[in-house]
Amino acid sequence: MATTTATITLSSADIQSDVLALTKQATLHKGGTTTGLNQTTGLQKTIFTATTNIVLFDSTVLGIGGASKVYIANKSTDPSEFVTITINAQIVGRLYAGDWMFTPWSQSDAAGNIELQPSTVSSLPVEYMMIHNGITQTSA
Amino acid sequence: MATTTAQLVITSTDLLSDSLSLSAIATLTNAGSATGMTQTTGLARKKTESTSLYILYDQSALAVPAASAHKIYIKNLSTTAAEYVTITVNAEEVGRLYAGDWCFFPWSAHDASNDISITPSVSSALTIEHMLFFES
Repeated sequence: MATTTATITLSSADIQSDVLALTKQATLHKGGTTTGLNQTTGLQKTIFTATTNIVLFDSTVLGIGGASKVYIANKSTDPSEFVTITINAQIVGRLYAGDWMFTPWSQSDAAGNIELQPSTVSSLPVEYMMIHNGITQTSA
Repeated sequence: MATTTAQLVITSTDLLSDSLSLSAIATLTNAGSATGMTQTTGLARKKTESTSLYILYDQSALAVPAASAHKIYIKNLSTTAAEYVTITVNAEEVGRLYAGDWCFFPWSAHDASNDISITPSVSSALTIEHMLFFES
């Protein structure tokens, strides 16, 4: 079993009159257990050059009903450039330049893919990684 | 304008044969600009005691602008490994947040049905913390 931790720190001295300094750490476990997630896609990087909606993580391939963790970061430095994240055609949100997200993903059904659509055809770099407990092995 | 940052660090010495030490820092800005996001709900805590669906962020009630760069933080404070909350966006399941897990993601709030909700796995007391950063 592997031990992988994800730590978030939210900081601001001026978004409210009380200083925001929140730090939380999670150890990434298989769903409902204290056994560490032990597989990963590795950190991937793609430079997108079209505004086509693409499947970033395919729920069927990765195994329906999983308890994966997904990281996606928009590495553009142009503030106007974003990628739209959807799950089964439901828009979750936009990741603007420099933004990242880290969420659980349960791959609830065959249509529950995580998809991404860039806002621009200019080169837009995105990094992404999934940490999971196994994928569906299919015959060649 | 406010300056708010969100930093993520993912580490592992044994998930791969190469040590994993990933860090990402985002400054929370309004959509398409370098202007810092200025509004927040503040850090809130909610205790649930049923397996019903709870709307955490109601797009209509909050009246936040659509297609924006809002950000949401949610943490499951349970210490029982089997307990989780299922996070949904307009009835579409995103994932299960198990005990001790947290998530941080953008919210476009693009229409009235685009609420962010949770459904606890247990009817016993389960507490979550959550926070929304938003633009007006």
